[in-house]
Amino acid sequence: MSEPPPAPDFDAQNYARPNQNWICGHAGEGGQCRLGPDARGRCGAASECQPRLETKPGETKGRWHCTRPGGACESGPLPDGRCGGSLPSCAPVPTLRWLRGRMTFAVIAISCAALLIVLGHPPYRNGFINPGEISQAHSGAVFALRAATNQLPASCGSCHGAGNAGPGGLVNAAWHAEPGIFDLEKMAGATVGEPMAMDAACLKCHGGRNLHQVDAPPIACVFCHTEHAGLNMAPTTDANCNFCHGDAAKMMVSPTTPVIHHFADDHPQFRFITERRRDPDTLQFNHQLHLTGATIPRLPGGGKLDCEYCHQPDAAGAYMQPVAFEKNCRVCHSLQFDPQTPELTLPHGSGEFVSAFLRSLPNQYLQLAQKRSAPDPTGFVENKLAGLRAQFGSGEDLEQRIFFSTATFGPAANIGTLAGATRAIFPGCALCHEVKHMAGAAPEITPPVIPGRWLTRAKFNHAKHLGISCAQCHAASQSQSSADIILPPKETCAACHSPRGGVANSCAECHHYHQPQMAVK
Amino acid sequence: MNRFRRQILAGCLGLTAATAGALWLHLSYRARPDYAFLSGWVLLAGMFVLALYNVRKKLPFLPLGKSETWLQIHIYLGFFTTFLFLFHLNFRLPRGLFEITLAGLFVLVSGSGFLGLFFSRVLPRRLATRGGEAIFEKIPAQRHALRMEAETLALGRDANSPVIAEFYVKRLAVFLAGPRNFWPHLMESCRPVGGLLAELADLRRVATEGDRERIDQLARLVRQKDGLDYQRALQLTLRLWLFVHIPLTYGLMIFTVLHIVLVYAFSGGAQ
Repeated sequence: MSEPPPAPDFDAQNYARPNQNWICGHAGEGGQCRLGPDARGRCGAASECQPRLETKPGETKGRWHCTRPGGACESGPLPDGRCGGSLPSCAPVPTLRWLRGRMTFAVIAISCAALLIVLGHPPYRNGFINPGEISQAHSGAVFALRAATNQLPASCGSCHGAGNAGPGGLVNAAWHAEPGIFDLEKMAGATVGEPMAMDAACLKCHGGRNLHQVDAPPIACVFCHTEHAGLNMAPTTDANCNFCHGDAAKMMVSPTTPVIHHFADDHPQFRFITERRRDPDTLQFNHQLHLTGATIPRLPGGGKLDCEYCHQPDAAGAYMQPVAFEKNCRVCHSLQFDPQTPELTLPHGSGEFVSAFLRSLPNQYLQLAQKRSAPDPTGFVENKLAGLRAQFGSGEDLEQRIFFSTATFGPAANIGTLAGATRAIFPGCALCHEVKHMAGAAPEITPPVIPGRWLTRAKFNHAKHLGISCAQCHAASQSQSSADIILPPKETCAACHSPRGGVANSCAECHHYHQPQMAVK
Repeated sequence: MNRFRRQILAGCLGLTAATAGALWLHLSYRARPDYAFLSGWVLLAGMFVLALYNVRKKLPFLPLGKSETWLQIHIYLGFFTTFLFLFHLNFRLPRGLFEITLAGLFVLVSGSGFLGLFFSRVLPRRLATRGGEAIFEKIPAQRHALRMEAETLALGRDANSPVIAEFYVKRLAVFLAGPRNFWPHLMESCRPVGGLLAELADLRRVATEGDRERIDQLARLVRQKDGLDYQRALQLTLRLWLFVHIPLTYGLMIFTVLHIVLVYAFSGGAQ
């Protein structure tokens, strides 16, 4: 390859090299001196040459000779040896290369200084290096109090050992991290989710790994719980759950739980359906009759009996309050046993109370007579007791009837505050309850046990489902037996909670991971 | 296909293959616990090789291969490390002041590099079209010579036209005193010098025959000065992007070292 021809005006003798830091201040006028500035940018043009002293044999003073390159000048050196042709000095100009070097130095100096200042002052440092907002649970006054209880600093140091360390401490912590800075082989061989050293910091407050399965493999806390992601910690993802539940090998420890990836796909049917479970409670209740029966009277306000009358949400709106006799049942089931005396009703809640009440009937009628201001209280009592005897026979017969009768018939009459056709006579405790004979004592009524929640491994929030009717999930109008568990099958939930349904369908929507008893110290 | 085109084709194919491979690795291993660490080390290695190009330029006497080869590696590796940077970030935005500063430095260094590549591909062709072959360091002297010549024409002993003298003092002296019209030259606009030449043309109409010759010579000098300004603007641009690229590279290195210390000191493996 041939050399390119030089530029037309290229002067090889007067070539200013761009890698020099300074150029002559006269260069811009085309009159730069031959010496040029020195490396520090000082003008070197003091004179045209350095005169040389030549002393011939026999001379004592000698003679100064001009040494100017290109030939001696006309004036020659001065008598004292100084050059007679002094050059005009200039203010050397820095080259772009020098300016770039200064700028590089400035960037390095500013970076180092700023970092030293920031890293040397913990308040600045923590704000500077914090990669994101810390969750409410791990910040603020409540956390500070809790940290103090556990002898922890209420700062980065409560979780990070290097949180309160200076610059040297940071380097030391980085050097002793596991795996270390240059331990690339160990880093490449790390197992997903394996416990980390920092878990110890979590366990200072969150005592013990109360995992949802005792034989679940130990997992690093940060595998599921991502900090520095905002006021609320990042929610646990399906990937976290699938780490075990989507892995057949890991699920070998739990043969009863199948491999699950997504709720809509391979989540098993709810166990109460697959195992055909029945409500073991002894209380008898017919949802279909109460919701659709023609004999069900109107409520005091004139409304029809519906789900909301008995099933009211709790304060949070998530779950339903327990159904209570006094609040939900007595308005229809007044426990009136004497058709002619609506003021007298049986107590509810204990067989012994009912038995004691019946044995004290004369006194009950007497008090009623006094309350009514009857002119002849004794006669009033006698009259009422005679009426009962005529209808039920002896006192023992009345008690047997009240405890054990399941008769669902009777003359139409008004009951309590309700107007309409319904049973006037209290049929007996056994209509709803399991009543047991007890030798020599009052019959025993088995207390109802109504579970507040059936799917205890999952959470549910009724408040989030107000947009749909109760009947869409609970087929109560088709249930005639209180043994029916009137919960929807998985398919009903998955109709909405699936990618197709468009409603959130992650595992964490329904499930908690940790055991309920896990608490913060 | 010439050698230059073959180089570009091979480089682009290599870059595409390397990026596709890195993307496949990213998608396959991003769930690993230490993926961010591993991808970070690979990114750091890439940045280290990129920085070595500057060392190579400072040590031209060592047998370290041709600078041209190093430049090609620097360019394609620069593109590749930009993709590595995105993989390392897992395509999310940086969080926190430190991460944002670090990522900002990387973006500035990469961006200035891409801008420099664009300039070095586009501006040299334009430099060949106007202003002759001017050496950047000689431009001030050439400009000074033009100014002296113009001053002699307009204000010298032989000059006897007050109109030309006034025009020189009011308009040309400022134009010839230093570099002018940086941005118009960069945008390839001739409007400023066109306006000045139009004013000279107007002056020519009212001038005497002798003055017209001087005005023509002044117009020639104005065109030469404009050519020098054009050369200076483009050559300066070819040098100025390095004022961002090189200094911020050092800043990026300092912040990167601190980043490594911090991620290890605050990692889950730290005590």
